[in-house]
Amino acid sequence: MPTRTRPIQKFAAAVSQCSPEAAVYGKCIVADYNSVHKDKCVAEFMKLKDCYLSQKASKKK
Amino acid sequence: MHWTVSRFQLLRGAKGVRASCWSSGARRSYAFTTAGPPVHEVFNTRTKWLQKERAASNLEESRIADYLKNEVAVRLCERLLDIKRSYPRVLDVGANSCNVARALTAPNPDSDPNMPESDPLVTKIEHLTAAESSKTMLYRDADEPFNQQINMTREVLASQETLPYEANTFDLVLSSLGLHWINDLPGMLSQINNILKPDCAFMGAMFGGDTLFELRTSLQLAEQERRGGLSPHVSPLADTRDCGGLLQRAGFKMVGVDVDDIIVDYPDSFALMQDLQAMGESNAVLGREMGAIQRDVLLAADAIYRELHGNEDGTVPATFRMIYMIGWKESEDQAQPLPRGSGQINLKDVLESK
Repeated sequence: MPTRTRPIQKFAAAVSQCSPEAAVYGKCIVADYNSVHKDKCVAEFMKLKDCYLSQKASKKK
Repeated sequence: MHWTVSRFQLLRGAKGVRASCWSSGARRSYAFTTAGPPVHEVFNTRTKWLQKERAASNLEESRIADYLKNEVAVRLCERLLDIKRSYPRVLDVGANSCNVARALTAPNPDSDPNMPESDPLVTKIEHLTAAESSKTMLYRDADEPFNQQINMTREVLASQETLPYEANTFDLVLSSLGLHWINDLPGMLSQINNILKPDCAFMGAMFGGDTLFELRTSLQLAEQERRGGLSPHVSPLADTRDCGGLLQRAGFKMVGVDVDDIIVDYPDSFALMQDLQAMGESNAVLGREMGAIQRDVLLAADAIYRELHGNEDGTVPATFRMIYMIGWKESEDQAQPLPRGSGQINLKDVLESK
């Protein structure tokens, strides 16, 4: 029986291609993690998410 | 201690009709601490049971993810080497997949190369009862070879919070990673104290304190930034210094508590979460948000996890803080501390003469 790839594994594989964007976002949060509020790093997050979405799209093809 | 006193008072007052009522077995088989504030419900026991059932029904993944439970069981059982006794009846509370039985049958973990190989710990044990509420988890490894080496009974508990055993039954109670999902931990420890024979030991290992603090903090930061609020993802855990007090409150004597950090490196935070799920250790806190964590939050949490806690080689560490406890049931012929002021030797003289 071929093992089914779980959605979380596909997710992890796509995310792993975006480590530069993830590092930028992480640094933005960690720079001052005592005063995190909603959308504090929204610009960095959207770059990370765009990268993830394009990775996800390219995997599908 | 508390309940012992009240029980003596009860017995003294129980004469005639009441006394026969006690002996006819109408008595509760476990002890309560004196009535206090209502028990705080923290975990959803049914969710936890379902998670364990599901985890164990995936044989392959569940066995791979057993590395932590096996390691802790070995470290717990190793401590039996320090007690020069043999145990006719032993209980394993919250047995999971009988990791303790597996550890007991393994070759001596602390073998000295200069000495002849000693027997595995199981030779000190006549009978082991493995009690667990999840049947699938309990019977997962029932066909493994280690079952032949140990005289063991598996018992499925109706509830993980109640131990259906008579008082003064067991010569040793072990618990390896079975206590951290118990809502009423003080009550559980009282029950364990009750079913032990006098001057017999309880030894337990549980997750505590800073366990999974990396995952907890990164999920908190990610949810705070993405959604502007928090929901519990990692259980509240007992602290090291709480455990001594808990054991004493349950009536244990000569209490010992120590901690041990096990740090496991994972390729990413998703691998950690997958393994937790395969262990049956996913979130079961009451009041948690139902359904999966949003992908946005997961994406953010992984980035924060790496940045805040990540190792240089790109892996992420996860800390499991193990709290090991030992306590002895009170007995009259137990070694007692000497009265205050009865010391004859001045410790200062001894230390200075060295």
